[in-house]
Amino acid sequence: MTSDQDSFLRATMGAMDLVYNLSRKLVRTREEAEDLTQETYLAAFRAWRQRRRPRRVEPWLATICLNLARSQYRSRSRRPKEVALAEGAESAGGEDPEGLAMAALDRDALHRAMWRLSDEQRVAITLVDLMGLSTADAARAMGTPRGTVLSRLHRGRRALAGLLGVSVMEAGR
Amino acid sequence: MKSWWVRRRRHDPERNAAEYVSGELPRRAIRWFEAHLLGCEECWHEVMLGRVGRAMAEEAREPLTRGLRDRVRAHVQVSGSAGHPRER
Ligand SMILES: [Zn+2]
Repeated sequence: MTSDQDSFLRATMGAMDLVYNLSRKLVRTREEAEDLTQETYLAAFRAWRQRRRPRRVEPWLATICLNLARSQYRSRSRRPKEVALAEGAESAGGEDPEGLAMAALDRDALHRAMWRLSDEQRVAITLVDLMGLSTADAARAMGTPRGTVLSRLHRGRRALAGLLGVSVMEAGR
Repeated sequence: MKSWWVRRRRHDPERNAAEYVSGELPRRAIRWFEAHLLGCEECWHEVMLGRVGRAMAEEAREPLTRGLRDRVRAHVQVSGSAGHPRER
């Protein structure tokens, strides 16, 4: 193994779980997500060999993955409809809304729910809530202002909660 | 004496909830916002929905599929060996 390969793999392999999860939210099938993950790593490695090395690998890999998805995969995927915020649903209320949410859904259902968000909301949520990027890093990766990311993030979270049946209570406005 | 930053904060449910739930409000702003939450039902609900949505997103994380790590490692090694005649 060359020293480039060695240093690249040591720096990036720990982030593969994150890149795969991002890919899963960018393309429809597991096979496509695996291919996108692989292409992300190959593109990143090409940059690495040209001495274009990031300070932090996660935002860097996320940006490469997003760009590849935009250029290669977007046309293949059906664009989901924007999810309306919950209207007239029951309020979950209670002391532990997260606990109720988790009890109600399995991971496949959550995955499907995320695909009902707009592309922008799903990507913002995936970068911040699933990959753990800061909203500033997510904004750089998405090429949008941070305020836009905050808006997409909150609307996406709200829509996910709405899909679960947690309502936006109209009372008290 | 409140800082300029805290004085600038205002009732902005979407932005405040997004930053608060993401853990990105500065400490002083957290104190301000948590006091604000006690009296503002709208912001309180946005925070609750934001927390539920974030928890759902975190839970949607999937394990790597079997063999993907080895497959990517192998491709990187093959790609890196291109142009290296003494590839092993
Ligand atoms: Zn408020």
